[in-house]
Amino acid sequence: MRISPRRAAAALSAMALVGSLSACGGDDSAGDAGAPLEFWTRSGPEGATTYKAILAAFTAKTGIQVNYQGVLEFDTQLQTKASSKKLPDLWVNDASLLGTYQGQGYTTPVEPGQIEGGDAIDAATWQQNKGLDGQLYGVPYSRQAFGTLVRVDWRKKLGLPQPKTWDDLTALATAFATKDPDGNGKKDTYGMVVPGSSKNGYIGWWGISYIWQAGGDILAPAGEGKYKSVINSPQTRTGLEFIRRQFCTPGNVVPGSLNLTTSEAPFFQEGKAGIYLTGPYAFGTYDKILGKDKYEVVPMPKGPVSTTTLGDGENIYFGAGSQKSDEAKKLAAFLISPEGQEIGMKAEESKYPTVRLPVNRGVDVHKVLGDPRWDLIQKQYLDDTKTFVWSIKFQPIRQALGEGVNAMMSSCDSDLDAGLKKLDQAITAELKAQDVLG
Amino acid sequence: MSMSSQFDTALGWSPRLGVGKVLRILLCAVVLFVFAAPFLTIFAGAFNKTTDSTQVTLYPQDPTLLGFQIAGEKGIWGYFLNSLVIVGGGLLLQLTVSVLAAYALARRKFRGHTVVMLLFLLTMMLPEEVIAVPLSQVLAELPFLGISLKGSVFGVILPVALWGFTILIMTEFMKEIPREIEEAARLDGVGELRMLWVIVLPLSKPVLGVATIFGFMMIWDQYLLPLIAADDPSDYTLTVALSVLRSDGTVGPGVLLAGALIALVPSLVVYLLMQRSLIRGITAGATKG
Amino acid sequence: MTTVPLTRRARPLVAARRGMLSGPGWLPWVLLLPALLFALMFKFIPMVEGLRMSLFKVQPFLGDQWVGLENYRTVLTDSRFRSALGHTLLLGIGQTVGALVLGFLLALLLEGQTRSLWVLRTAIFLPVVTAVAVIGEVWRILYFPTETGFVNSIAGWFGLGPFGFLNDPDQALVSVMVVGVWTAAPYNMVIILAGLAGIDRTLYEAAAVDGVSRWQRIRYIVLPGLRPAISVLLTLAAIRSLRIFTEVFVLTGGGPAGSTEVWMTRVFSLGFQRNDLGVASAASTLLLLVTVVLTLGMRLLTRQKESGS
Repeated sequence: MRISPRRAAAALSAMALVGSLSACGGDDSAGDAGAPLEFWTRSGPEGATTYKAILAAFTAKTGIQVNYQGVLEFDTQLQTKASSKKLPDLWVNDASLLGTYQGQGYTTPVEPGQIEGGDAIDAATWQQNKGLDGQLYGVPYSRQAFGTLVRVDWRKKLGLPQPKTWDDLTALATAFATKDPDGNGKKDTYGMVVPGSSKNGYIGWWGISYIWQAGGDILAPAGEGKYKSVINSPQTRTGLEFIRRQFCTPGNVVPGSLNLTTSEAPFFQEGKAGIYLTGPYAFGTYDKILGKDKYEVVPMPKGPVSTTTLGDGENIYFGAGSQKSDEAKKLAAFLISPEGQEIGMKAEESKYPTVRLPVNRGVDVHKVLGDPRWDLIQKQYLDDTKTFVWSIKFQPIRQALGEGVNAMMSSCDSDLDAGLKKLDQAITAELKAQDVLG
Repeated sequence: MSMSSQFDTALGWSPRLGVGKVLRILLCAVVLFVFAAPFLTIFAGAFNKTTDSTQVTLYPQDPTLLGFQIAGEKGIWGYFLNSLVIVGGGLLLQLTVSVLAAYALARRKFRGHTVVMLLFLLTMMLPEEVIAVPLSQVLAELPFLGISLKGSVFGVILPVALWGFTILIMTEFMKEIPREIEEAARLDGVGELRMLWVIVLPLSKPVLGVATIFGFMMIWDQYLLPLIAADDPSDYTLTVALSVLRSDGTVGPGVLLAGALIALVPSLVVYLLMQRSLIRGITAGATKG
Repeated sequence: MTTVPLTRRARPLVAARRGMLSGPGWLPWVLLLPALLFALMFKFIPMVEGLRMSLFKVQPFLGDQWVGLENYRTVLTDSRFRSALGHTLLLGIGQTVGALVLGFLLALLLEGQTRSLWVLRTAIFLPVVTAVAVIGEVWRILYFPTETGFVNSIAGWFGLGPFGFLNDPDQALVSVMVVGVWTAAPYNMVIILAGLAGIDRTLYEAAAVDGVSRWQRIRYIVLPGLRPAISVLLTLAAIRSLRIFTEVFVLTGGGPAGSTEVWMTRVFSLGFQRNDLGVASAASTLLLLVTVVLTLGMRLLTRQKESGS
């Protein structure tokens, strides 16, 4: 057999072309000392726009180049990076992931003194970032409290007052569902938006505030960095009963919520539902879509025990194996500096703040934003918030909580006590698996 | 063929107007509604002025191009281009690799034939969600070569080059080509690769049609792979971009459906172009065990 | 049994076996080289790495810890995995059978040469060429669980519902199954149509002379004639159904109350949300094993049946 020389030459050149082109693609060089600093955040396009504004200011000031990425499916991506031991030099993500990152050795410890301007952050805020081994991991970047958003135009149209108690809140939700607050003659409005999926523990994130307001809790410290499950209590049951009252009163919760994550539940901005317990990051979005005059942030309606809501935040984590820790620390210093924090709060271009409540003592929310809604969120944060336990691997606990609550809400006559018992076992088993059961 | 019409179809549908015909038309209408109505809702939603996540319409009310405009501002056309490049390159490579392999498996006897066949079958059974992590390691640093494919279209194109399914259907098809043709060509002094090019390939047209459609759909639908191969959001493909749009609080479902419609058009075009050879190819392929 | 497709198939198969030319021994390997290289790089190396991880507690920065078969034990004793397996099988069987039956009925209805039937068949094929993510998105809206929801309002015309669909733990799995059947049936239709085209029309005529009813014609001529096509469909569907992931992930994410959790969604949440790559790898290795056994078994079974008939 013979191959014509012309064809052979064509095949060879085609192969060479493929080879050279794929070599062009190979300019990834994370971990390489000469490459720009690699910085990741868990952000969609809007959040990324805000971070880019901060980074532009940083590079202008220091001349340090940053290879920035706003990453979707952050955990998946970070894990694939970790498995090839090429973590970003630093990243910003949920504070409650601290234990996970520390436990897997993804992130390295930090001292307040190592970060320029680190003393502008309250010692108490720093202490929140303490890992199980007593060292600090992650620089605080942003803090927030959950707040209750209400469609003020609907509420006024129906002649109802701001909700002060759980019963008010329930009544308001029912009114929004049944009294046609948007006046279109159709029964197409609902009370509350609930991201109720068990995926990633979403419903636990939303529901924990009500559990706390009833005096219940998930974990209690058992000394020496150990914890025990306290979920199976009459107080938690009261909280769950309140939540179930919403799910089982037709219209109080948007139907179908049990399968929805935050991004799949756009009902508040679409004008389909009037109450949303959520973080404050979406004000700008709602201002754009709904209008600033259409909704209000109300002081937290009081539960049987308190008005506690979920306090949460974001930290800057330093990647293990980074060869540019000096530059990474400089970027962290800029991110927590008054300048960086203010750009992140104002989010001039995207209106999507990546700094919610500043961690820097020198930055005044009221002065920067002059927005009573943010003042209220700050007040809630300072007065009455509680956080998840950040030092352990909390993700699986949140997942278990989400799955348990999702299951209990999926039926209106299921046995809550049995559900709580099962949840208690799941959480205890997880604590044991992590070796932090006390 | 002068067969009476009642033997044209398995059920013996009659072309004359009667109870049977009316029943058939009615059933067809129901079937059309069930399978096409959801697509009408995509279409309608994409052009609707106001859309929400609780209701759909079957035709656009107050039609507008706003959804497409916003999708455009969100960079949908760039993602579209990425998808086209990837699907074009990936398909070309996939077909080439498969034709070569299938030719060897179908027309040549050699030791290890069964083992190779089993290996290709095995590749079809790997759940890709799970090899995602090791695969991303491979993409970041190709074994033996040390090249990184991340952030390049080759990060998606090269991994889809091998698809056991295409190799299998092509092998099955090429086995059917009568040996006499090849032998005659050989007597005429046709060389091996030329034989593949001028004899076997033209005869394999129907199966190439099938492989093109399925290969296109397989590559067009990739989600996890472009996600882990991307180094930057600008590397995303249309399918990944759809999930970005979905989680974007500032855009409504109308924009998402506009994106979905854009993603649908190429699949539809390929299907329409290739439909005839698809039917022929499946007819030739599916009656085998 | 002497149906036409069988006899038609017999000849080329024999020819094909004889038709394999010997040629130079290295030629097949040169032709196979690209395919084997790509398989090695992007399938087998990741697969072996997955196998390795299934035997370790995976923690890249602290050093992986050898745990032997511990991860496999975890999977096999986990009650969540067991219920996920049940859901996977239910969904797989329901979807495969449902799509096969519906595809068959569609093929019977739409068989024919006229242009309008061609258009209909094209329109009905749409779900097959649509991205799963888009299908999930649309169906979530169609399934909206109040009387204003699309499917519910249709059910309302018949005095049914409103149904909870994806929101109701008792209906969610069936609802996911319906979407699966809806997507796969048109594909089956095309393959069965092709099979129908291969049946010799003179058989119908002969049967008519013998005075058999339509039902008997289907039962004794059409179905046996379709058997080869159907066995291919079943094999492919079995492989696919065990790996079902995207549909479920997009529609319900495994909820509500875990009622739609399938093997791969469990693997995904363990691997990526719980960072437990070892257990996730073990679970997927088990899935791979089951798939291999099942596929080979099915191939053997169909082959035996054929040589027996």
